Amino acid sequence: MKRGSNFGKNRLVMLRYLLFFILWLVPMLIYAQGREISGVILDGSNEDPLSFANVLIKGSQTGTMTDLDGNFTFQNVPEDAVIVVSYIGYITKEVQVTDDDYYTILLMPDIQMLGDVVVIGYGRESRRNVTGAVSQLSGEVIESLDPPNVAQALQGTISGVHVTQQGGSPGSESNIRIRGISTNGNNAPLIIVDGFQFEGGLNSINPQDIESMTILKDAQAAIYGAAASNGVILITTKSGTRNQDAQFTYQTYFGIQETSRKLPLLNATEYALLLNESYANAGLESPITQLTGLGKGTNWQDEVFTRAPVMSHNLSVRGGSENTTYSVSGSILDQEGIIGSDKSQFNRKTASIALESDLRENLNLNTRLFYFSTTNNSLNSFGLGSVLFNALNMAPTIDKDVDDLTGEINLGNEVVNPLTQIRNTYNESTTNRLSGTFQLRYDYAPNLDIQARMGFNTSLTQNRDFFPVFNYGPGKVFNRLEDNQVSLAKINDNDYTFDIFNTYRNIINDRHDIIFTVGMTVFQQEGSGLFGISTGVPANSFDFADLSVATGSGDNLNANSYAYDVRRLSYFGRLQYVLDDRYLITGILRRDASTRFGPNNRVGYFPALSLGWVISEESWFPRLDYLDFFKFRGSYGVMGNDRIPDFLYLSLLTGQATYVSGNDGSLINGIAIGPLSNPNVKWEESRKLDIGFDIRFLRNKFNLVIDYYINDTENLLIAGIPISGILGTAAPGSSSPTINAGSVRNQGFELEFTYQERLAENLNINLGLNFSTIKNEVTAIEGRDVLEGGQFGVGQLAPSRMEVGQPIGYFFGYKTDGIFQNMAEVNAHASQLPLGANAQPGDIRYVDINGDGVIDENDRIYLGDPIPDFTFGFNLGLQRNNWDLSAYVFGSVGNDIVRNFERDQANVNKMSYRLDRWTGEGTSNNVPRATVSPTTNNVFSDFFIEDGSFVRIQTISLGYNFQNDLISRIGLNQLRVYAKVDNVFTFTEYSGFDPTASTGVPIGGGIDFGFYPIPRVYMLGLNAQF
Amino acid sequence: MKNIYLFLFVVFFATSCSDDFVDVTPPFAINSETFFESPEDYDLALIGAYDLLSATYVNVLMGEIASDNVNAGGESPTDVIGWQQIDRMIHTPVNSNIRDLWNFNFAGVQRASWIIENEGKIDFEGKDQIIAEARFLRAYFNFELLKWFGPIPIKPSGQFELGDELVIPRSPVEEVYDYIESELLIAIENMAPTSLQTGRANQMSARALLGKVYLYRERFPQSADQLNEVINSGMFHLYGTRGDERYEDLFEFIAENSGESVFEVQYTGAQGAGFDCLQCSKGNVMVGFSGVRGYVGPVFESGFGFGLPRESVFNAFSEDDLRRDVSILNIEAWAAETGASFSIGNQDPVTGHTGFYNRKYIPRINNNLPDANLTQPNNYRAIRYADVLLMAAEALNRGGIDDELARSYVNEVRNRAGLDDTQASGQDLFQLIINERRLELVGEGHRFFDLVRWGIAEEFIEGFTAPKNNLFPMPFEEIGFSQGNWNQNPGY
Repeated sequence: MKRGSNFGKNRLVMLRYLLFFILWLVPMLIYAQGREISGVILDGSNEDPLSFANVLIKGSQTGTMTDLDGNFTFQNVPEDAVIVVSYIGYITKEVQVTDDDYYTILLMPDIQMLGDVVVIGYGRESRRNVTGAVSQLSGEVIESLDPPNVAQALQGTISGVHVTQQGGSPGSESNIRIRGISTNGNNAPLIIVDGFQFEGGLNSINPQDIESMTILKDAQAAIYGAAASNGVILITTKSGTRNQDAQFTYQTYFGIQETSRKLPLLNATEYALLLNESYANAGLESPITQLTGLGKGTNWQDEVFTRAPVMSHNLSVRGGSENTTYSVSGSILDQEGIIGSDKSQFNRKTASIALESDLRENLNLNTRLFYFSTTNNSLNSFGLGSVLFNALNMAPTIDKDVDDLTGEINLGNEVVNPLTQIRNTYNESTTNRLSGTFQLRYDYAPNLDIQARMGFNTSLTQNRDFFPVFNYGPGKVFNRLEDNQVSLAKINDNDYTFDIFNTYRNIINDRHDIIFTVGMTVFQQEGSGLFGISTGVPANSFDFADLSVATGSGDNLNANSYAYDVRRLSYFGRLQYVLDDRYLITGILRRDASTRFGPNNRVGYFPALSLGWVISEESWFPRLDYLDFFKFRGSYGVMGNDRIPDFLYLSLLTGQATYVSGNDGSLINGIAIGPLSNPNVKWEESRKLDIGFDIRFLRNKFNLVIDYYINDTENLLIAGIPISGILGTAAPGSSSPTINAGSVRNQGFELEFTYQERLAENLNINLGLNFSTIKNEVTAIEGRDVLEGGQFGVGQLAPSRMEVGQPIGYFFGYKTDGIFQNMAEVNAHASQLPLGANAQPGDIRYVDINGDGVIDENDRIYLGDPIPDFTFGFNLGLQRNNWDLSAYVFGSVGNDIVRNFERDQANVNKMSYRLDRWTGEGTSNNVPRATVSPTTNNVFSDFFIEDGSFVRIQTISLGYNFQNDLISRIGLNQLRVYAKVDNVFTFTEYSGFDPTASTGVPIGGGIDFGFYPIPRVYMLGLNAQF
Repeated sequence: MKNIYLFLFVVFFATSCSDDFVDVTPPFAINSETFFESPEDYDLALIGAYDLLSATYVNVLMGEIASDNVNAGGESPTDVIGWQQIDRMIHTPVNSNIRDLWNFNFAGVQRASWIIENEGKIDFEGKDQIIAEARFLRAYFNFELLKWFGPIPIKPSGQFELGDELVIPRSPVEEVYDYIESELLIAIENMAPTSLQTGRANQMSARALLGKVYLYRERFPQSADQLNEVINSGMFHLYGTRGDERYEDLFEFIAENSGESVFEVQYTGAQGAGFDCLQCSKGNVMVGFSGVRGYVGPVFESGFGFGLPRESVFNAFSEDDLRRDVSILNIEAWAAETGASFSIGNQDPVTGHTGFYNRKYIPRINNNLPDANLTQPNNYRAIRYADVLLMAAEALNRGGIDDELARSYVNEVRNRAGLDDTQASGQDLFQLIINERRLELVGEGHRFFDLVRWGIAEEFIEGFTAPKNNLFPMPFEEIGFSQGNWNQNPGY
């Protein structure tokens, strides 16, 4: 059942729409005299009474509503009448009146209808009348997926929404992209929780507190102006229900996580043989002379990966009296990492309280408070030097207990024993956050109300890191030989959103349905950070890792701080007008002023217009049995993106200016220019066009939503734009300016399809399918041809580019053409010397793209891009008797991934495909020879690019609902136990750990530095209501 | 109708808030609009310009690798690939290390220009000295850029601004020389003869640099004049020739900012550093990079084993030349003597292990902060008196000015090294100076540029092609940024 914060007051509006709908269903008027009947309307799923349900005699305008206990009484019921019972969120049911005078009518929840009223920002709109591309994720889906981070529930369940995790480390955040990557900057959508801007990560929210998530994908989001261009996610949290006894819900699950994949690496014997071969090929002595008895050696992946538990408890109580509803909940989540167990864990505690009450007949108060507390321990989990990177590159000939690699084979300065690294990692990050909103609604005149809302977030993050004295071996970059170090940080972030807005609603002459909203929003965010670092922690132990006992002094004791203050002032207006129930029009205008923009461009106007036409409502439209509803809609609007660093228009003197006194070697500090400024900096502007159809057919069993969109983002704020070195941005503490300098177009096609039916007496099925295509193209970059980003190997040219006519962040490098088989082939080919070495037989042959007879940087070309051609999701639910089964699948096709977790160093371990190396003419045309002499085989080429397409069975769960009569004896209303597997299986050709993980960086995404794989989880859970 | 008025009234009342709300200045931050308003501001900004001297480690190490003195070394034949390619003289415009050098030195130019362009904002006692030091620093960075890249964009009036790369051309070498010389002449006029603070530039550092610039330009009389001023100032002497100084300590901590130091880049290990910002390190990154790989033993600390002196340069010293063992560490002999252990990285015959290390600039045991490889506190003797003497001798000899004086300068340097006086003159003396410069200055980054200006690099450096390799390529990226304004150096 869909119940939002203002449900009590909005219900009448909603019922009115429903009434229209029903009236439309009933074209004939039948009047007759009859008898009195009565009955009760119950929720078919749990037999709860449904209060205020509509009961109507079919063909008449005679209707009534159920009372608090779901009871109704009808006078003058004609013989052979049919009663039509409807209730928002349930399938409307018709009951033939028989001789009985009393009827018990069960209504089944309608999963499609759940979103019948959607929040659209500063108000609500009936699903039917929505003119934009708006998708909704219900609390049921969230509950059925029940991920630790609610962002994962959006993965594959909503068209046009692409979610990638930043790795499987506990507590890691997810990147959400709505309709593609529209900027090279921050692509994160705006998140609004119960009306206020939510500035924490989604992983601090308890998923079980969420009633629904609404995603504004098109110009409908223009009501949020300068913050809306990445799309908007509106989260509505659960509240109590009027006139309902306290209902307790307890949910828990326990799971075991394991890695979903281990990479095939060489074992000790294979490693030694291949290594010796690579030295011999370079004319050098074999580094490993004793080959017998090496065996398989240490399997570092087996050593690092463990099985780890995850556990969640959630208890809530909800209910309400005639004028008041309440909801109180608390939850605990405990998750350990599949690498490093307790060194990598996430713990979240949440508590929330919601209270809503009619203070006066025309005055409603609604308050919500959320408290979140998270504790996170983390390992260096991705990139050069991460635990997994070390596990992949560490020699299998080294024993797992060797902490100090002195005397072992030289693996370079970065590769160390990953187990030692885990042991020496000490950190803790805790965040305590209080968020909430106070909302007052005053109906000060007929059809008019004013709402004032004050939402806020205040959070304190504390980090504690300890680096013990430790020697990993000679020259290792992780070594701390002299002194240990503790570093502490305290970061305080505060913001508030204050809204005040007026709404006028009226239906004039039964044909003009008008909602006009006008108001303003004030948003301010301010905060500060304080940092301290000291050496000399007693006993070299985390137990004493505090500045109070550390003995560092002078330059070994450092402190620092920062502060910020960001503000936005907005005015907005929106007119929603419906004529004759079929012609829909919405107009939006928002004006934003933001501190993030220079005085020259401080104010922006963001208009949007959307139109809808319910064609199936037209009199000329054929009354087709199978077609229930057909709506055409289109929208166009302008939105902004202001997610850029503050004060880019000011030249701040934040550069590092330090020199050394010749007298005593002490540091002397001065002042220098920080990042270069840009006085003209302004918001990015998205122009979004959307054309769509909403279709329901076969008695609403099938529901189809189709959208086509074009989003043009202009004035892209290009931060850190690479600029000429003469501007001095290489100076310490300086960086390139942020310039409005690009345009990107995203276009695509989206489809959402659902089907639900009762197949048999006790067999329900629901199916969902969504499909999205995306075509991304950079349409302009002012003043330059390309922007580069990303990282591959060490000291190589940037592998990713943004270039006009290409998708953003595409991969740019050398195209391979097999392996040189013999010297004749080498001589016949263009010289590869400019890449760093002369080619030899067994080396990769690169294509001379420009045909100038040499292979150099001008021969680089498009090699692929990380943007999928299309993504899709599929879900299936089956209920039979007391059993329920559900499955979620999603996939992505056409995205490429760069394999960048193989360290380019002679002695590190290799992936086992290297066994298929070239060893002589005709032996391999794919894998180059093994050698430690300099080659060009490691330059960025398509040798390192793989197809990242995948299909993942994300969740399969099987639940059992106990019979009411069984559990009522122990005081329960409902009891469901379930078994569930997450991340069941992934079909992919990709050779790395996980094709779904990504940093999400617009230019430089899709490069796999050895991602922490997202774990597979086996879970048992229980939901109880009492 | 009444409702409409009420509505409008409420709207007006509820939404009256001014845009002043978003007119804020960043909390606790200073910005450039309100800077240079007190004498202290000029001092503080000058420190910012000195800061970039720390980043010139790359000029020294890479310059040495480019010469015939050393192998690139490192962990493997591909470790710091940009350096490996330079060692083999196969470097191309795509070279992140050459680009670093461009970026770091221009950052220094830009910071000095920031002060110079605000020269007229206020007046105070001592301003001339500060501006003069800024001009010295700008000339220092620009001369480095000139040595590496030849024609470079210049902007005497102040900082480069965005868009200048599209319109300001690379000035021809002669113009850049004129510009550097004029800057140094103004600096000399306004600078005190001695440093205001140890380590800062003074009139003599500026004269020595100007003498060097003239020498590179083969304006021998002017060069000799400036260098003689330095020599005759009496402020300098060769270390080890006075009091209880020992020549062997010349490159030890004890001899930092000694009487031999005409201009010295100051380093410290008191601030930590990381690989993500090597130019931010206040330590001498070259030193850690030059250290013995996996070294465990007395006196020294370990490092990354780059810039390995070749046997040929070791053998170029005569047995009785004291400079050999001060300049070059024979690691096997040292290990045998002290029981120290070490590991070998790159074994490539062209760029790899030689058994020798640059003893002048390898890490000594000290308590620098992590990453210890990046924060070695060894000062770089950028212009030392021995160099001044040899440059003066060269100017006097090649300018046909005074061979006797030239010989006396050379002999001063030779005598300190335990060698006899030379009697050479004319061309013979020049040939001797060529050799003395190599032996005296090995490991200090000068050799490559000496060979190039003498026009004999092709004879000594394998793979060197004149005129192509006289200059390094403009960074590939910079050619792109200039959108056709700047052309690539010939041959690249």
